[in-house]
Order: sequence, then C-alpha cells, then structure tokens
Amino acid sequence: MIWLLLVAHLAALPATVIAGKQSMRSGLAAAAVVPAITAVWAAVLLIDDRTPTTAELVWVDGLDLALRFRTDAVALMMTLLVSGIGALVFVYAIGYFSPGAKGGTRFPASLLAFSASMLGLVLADSVWTLFIFWELTSITSFLLVGHKNDDESVLAAARRALMITGAGGLVLLAGLLILADEAGTVVLSELTPVQGGGATLAAILILIGAATKSAQVPFHVWLPGAMAAPTPVSAYLHSATMVKAGVLLVAVLGSTFAEVDAWKVVGLGFGIISMLWGAVGALRHRDAKLILAWGTVSQLGLLITLLSVGSGKATFAATSILFAHALFKAALFLTVGEIDIRTGTRDIGELGGLARKMPITFAVALAGGLSMAGVPPLLGFAAKEAAIEAVLGLEGPEAGIAGFGVIGGSILTVAYTTRFLVTVFGPGPDTTVAPRRWAMTGPAVFLGSAGVVGYAAIGPVNDLIVSAATELNEKSNVYLLFRWPGLTTGLAVSAAVVGVGALLGAMMARRTKPAPKPTGATLADDGLDGVLKLARNLTAIVQHGSLPVYLATMGATATIAAIPFLFGLGTDHLILADDPVQALLAVAIVGAAAAGMFVRSRLGAALTLGAVGLGVSGMFVVHGAPDLVLTQLLVETVVVVGFVIGLGHLDRRFPRSPNTWRAVRITIAMTGGIAVMLALAAAGAGPVGEAPVADIAASSVDEGGGNNIVNVVLTDLRALDTLGEVVVLATAAVGILALARAGRPETEEAPA
Amino acid sequence: MIREHSPVVELGVRAASPLAIMVGVYLLFAGHNNPGGGFAAGLVFGAVVALRTVAGLQRTDLALPLIAGGVIVAGLVAAAPLLWGDLMLDQQVWTVEVPVLGKVKSGTALFFDLGVTAIVIGLVMAVLDGLGAADLAAPPSHHPDGDGDGDRETGSDPVAEVDAG
Repeated sequence: MIWLLLVAHLAALPATVIAGKQSMRSGLAAAAVVPAITAVWAAVLLIDDRTPTTAELVWVDGLDLALRFRTDAVALMMTLLVSGIGALVFVYAIGYFSPGAKGGTRFPASLLAFSASMLGLVLADSVWTLFIFWELTSITSFLLVGHKNDDESVLAAARRALMITGAGGLVLLAGLLILADEAGTVVLSELTPVQGGGATLAAILILIGAATKSAQVPFHVWLPGAMAAPTPVSAYLHSATMVKAGVLLVAVLGSTFAEVDAWKVVGLGFGIISMLWGAVGALRHRDAKLILAWGTVSQLGLLITLLSVGSGKATFAATSILFAHALFKAALFLTVGEIDIRTGTRDIGELGGLARKMPITFAVALAGGLSMAGVPPLLGFAAKEAAIEAVLGLEGPEAGIAGFGVIGGSILTVAYTTRFLVTVFGPGPDTTVAPRRWAMTGPAVFLGSAGVVGYAAIGPVNDLIVSAATELNEKSNVYLLFRWPGLTTGLAVSAAVVGVGALLGAMMARRTKPAPKPTGATLADDGLDGVLKLARNLTAIVQHGSLPVYLATMGATATIAAIPFLFGLGTDHLILADDPVQALLAVAIVGAAAAGMFVRSRLGAALTLGAVGLGVSGMFVVHGAPDLVLTQLLVETVVVVGFVIGLGHLDRRFPRSPNTWRAVRITIAMTGGIAVMLALAAAGAGPVGEAPVADIAASSVDEGGGNNIVNVVLTDLRALDTLGEVVVLATAAVGILALARAGRPETEEAPA
Repeated sequence: MIREHSPVVELGVRAASPLAIMVGVYLLFAGHNNPGGGFAAGLVFGAVVALRTVAGLQRTDLALPLIAGGVIVAGLVAAAPLLWGDLMLDQQVWTVEVPVLGKVKSGTALFFDLGVTAIVIGLVMAVLDGLGAADLAAPPSHHPDGDGDGDRETGSDPVAEVDAG
C-alpha cells in the first residue's frame, strides 16, 4: 500500500500538468485527489490497525542502499497531517488563485511533488531514504517559493531558502553518515543509543541540519523571506509540514542520542533562543503573514526545546503540540491568505473591523489564535498544559533554563496572538472587503474547527498522541491530555501566562513603529554574493582561456604526478619488444609524434596526430585486442572529420610564436610524455597477483550470455561503471552544446 | 575552403552513408560475441553524421534529444530489474528462433547498448555543433540578404561567426 500511494503520487504528476494546461484551478483539483486518498488511508490505519508495516526496495545490496518505509504511529500521524492538510490546501488554492492565473502547469504539479516528497520523508525508515526525501522537499519548496518568478526579490528569497536548507542538508548528511557508522545500521527503527566522540559530532551536525530546516535561530532568516510564496504554500510548507521535518528528525533520533550531552545542550540552545527571538520578531512586524511566520519560528523552538529535554512527559507534550500546531497554524495562514485576497493588504496598520465584515474568517482566526495561545476550550490549551507540566516537573539546571524559556516564550506567544487578533479584527481603519470565496473559507473552517473538535473528543486524540509519543520515547505512555486539569500549579502558571501575555499584546497592539529591517536575510544574501564573487575571481584566474597554457599545465602536472612511480622502476622486467613489428610501429609512432612538434601547418599537425593514432591501433593489433583496434580506428576517423570542420575556420598555419616560448612548450611536452612512459613502465613492475581473466571469461558466458569478454564486462559485469561513464559523456556533450551556443547570437537558439 | 560544395564529395557521402549505417548496425548486434558494441556503433553512426555534415547534407540539431534519449534508455534498462525484484542492471537473456538467421540470443544489454549508441552520436553532434558545423549545413551564402530564405532560421551570418570563433 505504501508503494501504491507513492506511485500514485508520481502518476498524478503528469495528470496534474495536463489538467493544469486547461486552467490553474483544474490542475489544483486534479492534484488534490491523491493526497486526500492518502489522508484517508492514514486515518483508517490509525483508527483500525496501528501495527507498523514496512516496505523495502533494495537498490544496491552490498552498499546497504535501499528505499525503506515504515508506518508506525508517528509516521501515520505525520502522514495524516501532510496529506490531509495537503488536500485542504489544494482546495483552498482553487479559491486563492484567480480563474485566469498563470502557471497552471507548474504550480499544482510542484505542490503535489512537494506533497509526495514530504510523504516519503515522514514514512522513511532508513537514513538514506530520509535524506533523499529531505532534499527533495528543499528543491520542491524552492520551486514553490519562487512561484512569482518575474519578481527579483521573490527569486532572492527562494534562493536564500534553498541555500540555507541545502547547506543544512549537507551538514545533515555528514551527521547521518557518522551516525550510521557509530550505530552500525542505517535503519531508523533499529537504531540503538550511541555515545562517545563520534556520536557527539553526529548529534551536533544533525541538530544543525534540523535547525536549518526548522528555521531555528540563527538559520531562521530564510523563513520570513519565504513568505513571498503564495499563501497556500506558506500554510502548507511553512507551518504544517516542511518546517516540521527538522522537529520530526529530532524527535525520531531523540532516544538514539539520549545519552549524548551535546544533543541536549545544543538542542536546548537552538530551541530556547528561537522560541524567544521568534516571538519578539512576531511582535515587531506589521505584515500579518510575517507575524505568523515569526510565530512559527517560536513554536518550532518550543518543540525543539521540549524534545531536547527528552523526558517522557516532555516528548509527550511535544507530540501534542506538534499535532495541535499543524492544525491551528495552517488555519491561521489560510485566514490571512483570505484576508489578503479579499482586502488587498496584510498590513495590520491598514486592517481593522474585520470581525464584523468577515465573521466566519474571524471565528476561524479566533479558534486558531486561542489554540495557539493555549486558551480553553481548544486542543492547544490541553497541549500547552502538558508542556508547562513537563517543564515544571523537571529537576536540576535544565528545569530553570527550560522553564524560563517555555514560560517566557508562552507569554510572548499570547502577546503576539492578542496583537494579531486585536489589530486585524478589532476596531481600526475601515477596510473594504471583497465577496467570500467558499473554496478558501471551507478548508479554513475545517482546520479551525479541528482544534475545537479535538478538544471535545479528547479521548481519540489522546489515543493517537500517546501511541505516537510512545513510539518516540517509551516513557511517554503514562501521560494523557486533559480537557480540564483541575486546580494545579500548572493551571495557575498557565492563567498567569495568558493574563500577562494578553496585557502585553494589547499594549503593543497599535504600536506604529515601522517593521524592522531584515538584517539577517541581508547578511545571508551578502554572504552568498561574496561566495559567488570569490568563485568568479578564482575562475578568472584558473580558467584564463589560453589553450597553450592549459596544455602546458596538464603536461607539467602529468610529469609531477609520474615522479612517485619512478622509484619503483626496475630494469629486469622490461622487454624491448616481443615482436619486431612492435619495434617498427614504436619507431613510427615516436617519429610521427616528434614530427608533430615541428610541423608549421595545422593540417600537417592533424595528420601527424592521425599517424600516431594509427600506429597505436597497430600496436593493439599486434597484442591481439580487436575491440581496442576498432574503437581506436573509429575515433581517429571521427576526429579527422572534426579536424576538417574545425580547420575550416582557422588559418592554414600556426601563428608564429617567440622561440623561447616554443622551446618551453616542446620541453614540457617531451618531459610529460617521457614521464608518463616511465611511470607506465614502473607500474608494470608492481606485483599484481593472478589476473582474474579466467573467472571473468567464465562468468561472461554464464551471466552475460556473450563470448566477447570486453563487451560483456562493459554492458553486464561492470555495467554500473558504464552507466556512470555514459552519463559523464552525456553531461560533457550538453556542456559542449551550452558553451558553443553561449558564444553565438541569440537568434541561433531557435532550433534547440 | 570547405564551404565550396563539391558534388563529388556529396555524391560519395550519399553513396557511402547506407553502407556505413549497415556496418554500424552490424557492430551493434555483433558486440556480444565479436568486436563491436554500442560505443563502436555509435562512433560509426557519428562518423556518418560528421561526413554528411561536412558535405552539407545534415544539421546537428538532434544532439540534445539523442543525448537525453540515450540517458533515459540506459537509465531505464538499469532500473527496470528493480521492478521485478532483481538487482539494478541485472540482465535478462533471451534466445529466439528467427526464420532466416536461425537461433538468435540477445538480452537487455542490447537496449543498454542502444542507449550508449544514442549518447555517442549525440556527443559527436554536440562536438560538431561546437566546431561551428551549423553554418556548414546551411546553403553557402556570403550575402546575408541573399537567397536561401528557406534555411535562414539560424539567422546568423556565417562569415561573422567565423570571425567570432
């Protein structure tokens, strides 16, 4: 079933493109189908049968390269969120884009491709599978953020997001490699706790990778910029799914790194700073979407904090908030998108009185906002209570640090939520509102009411959260979410948090200071520009464009590279020639090569090269290697024709050059040639053992079904090498085409 | 100098092309048991393309589709065994009775070789293109505003291009 769903996602891509050719809206409708089915599948499994199933496709057995998937409770919960919210976002986008919107072939398919990548990521059960889908989400999200590709600032934001998450992906890969080595397995569900120096390094690298994806300070700078994406994308990628990838990774690996101190320290550092700084950012901005984006940074920090604490209760609280946050933050983004479309602005200074003009949107935002602030009767309240109970139950230094972070962050969260709700929906400037679009309102209402329904039906929610949390940390199975915890210390703290936060938020509601400049984003862009400039300068030095100097560099390098071999040079195994024909051919080859150095005409030089080639083919004939002869002769033939074409553009004779330069070139050529010859002679002296010819000959007939060993080796026994080589050939050919066409006038590109 | 079209060369190339293509096809199939194979066949076809280009009989536009097609075919052959649970690039060998030729043995390696052939032809075309073969293919015209409007899609002045190169 896992395969079926993944393949269905792939199969739906061309269908989406075709439907998108008609209009953006039909493309979106086509794309919604498969995620909807996937969500139903996950829901059914969650209710019915939570026994983990696995799916595996071994690619290269010896290297342990395989696609592995597993449906445990965590994976299913994430699938429900990814595909369920995905399907809703597709419907929402139908309302978001105007009927004549451009990009119908591109946007729905990209969003579906992202949905498929995210599904693969949450179901992955091997570090390689996880990494592949992790990177795929980075790439697809780049396409989605850069949707309005005629706007320079949008492209800069998309590039920034790709660069930061892409660099983080590389760091993550390094961490995963070390982890796989330390743990002795690549299967996520079979990882055992690791410790020691390598484990510490792996923990830090993986946390950095997770922090870039989950927009943790200081890597958060890409997230506000990514708000340049269409709002459906922001709701889906930047609140509910992709930014949760890092959190999910930290959650999954939490028990593996439980005994590594650095895991906890670095994780708490990222989490608490992000939680506080994100909330401060949300209080400073005026764009409603940016307020939510900064709020996401803060909430993700809360999740990382709780997961880094690692106690059973904290993991349980993190799982609850993960679930609740996906619902309420997506709902809030959807309402902001609707406000944007219907009023034409997202600036909270220009909005006001929307409670009356957009009552349904207000109700959804209120439900989402209160859930975010942790106010009953909403799921966010129960989850927030669990978080506060978890940090109150801690002991030692981390109790103070985590407690300060979580409670301080919660106060600020309530504050920015209040500010958002009051300024957008409370009294203020009179905003003109366009008519409602049900495709937008429907999904928002669904997600907004999910928080209320989840609170009312807390039993099934508990069931889901407990089994997911237990999957992550077996000590989590004794905790439950409560509708009303009774008069506990935790409730008192919560009440104080809400009170102080609401007051703070109300005070800052009509703050008129302009929004802060995106310093971090500017720094990131400057860094990128600096790297590009350095690359350009370096390229200008290395790739100077002088063919003689390139050749001289190659010759000199070959000479230097040959030096180590010369120590192995012995005379006892060297034979002058085992056939008089060889000696004759050798004289001819050397003679032709020497003549090539002194010929003045270009055609003459080409002919001497041809003579060398033919002489070498003759050598192959003497040695009994018909395949090599054939290939060499054919290459020579094609090269001759190439020369005919190329020489047509050039003078008949080489340009005259100063005698000293000429002497230098001849010297380099000769020393290079002699050095390589000596190196080959020395290499032949090395002990090689028995040549495996007999084995290969036998297996080429048995396995490859052919008698020509050379070709069977190429196409069967070592076919992976050949595949790699032809891809290199193809890449080189495309490069030649690109280079050749780059130097020509624009109009030349039409035939391609 | 090559822009002066020679009818002798053109006729020669026209006559030789089918023969050379037959040799190429032979090499492609012979490769399993005798010298030959996809790479050699690709070079023969590439040589045909190159000669025809010199004679002004052929354009080199097909490079990209050939390269892409070749990579796709080779990649599909490589990945296909995964679908029925074998390892990547595991090859199937079939033996078929063909009326005239008798018993013919072949395998998936043949398709892999076809991919290689396409890539090699594409590579030769790309190199020819890089050497400026495009203006050979167009009828010789030293006057940009002259006749030959039918083949003027390239839109560039061959003489100017030589100077640029």
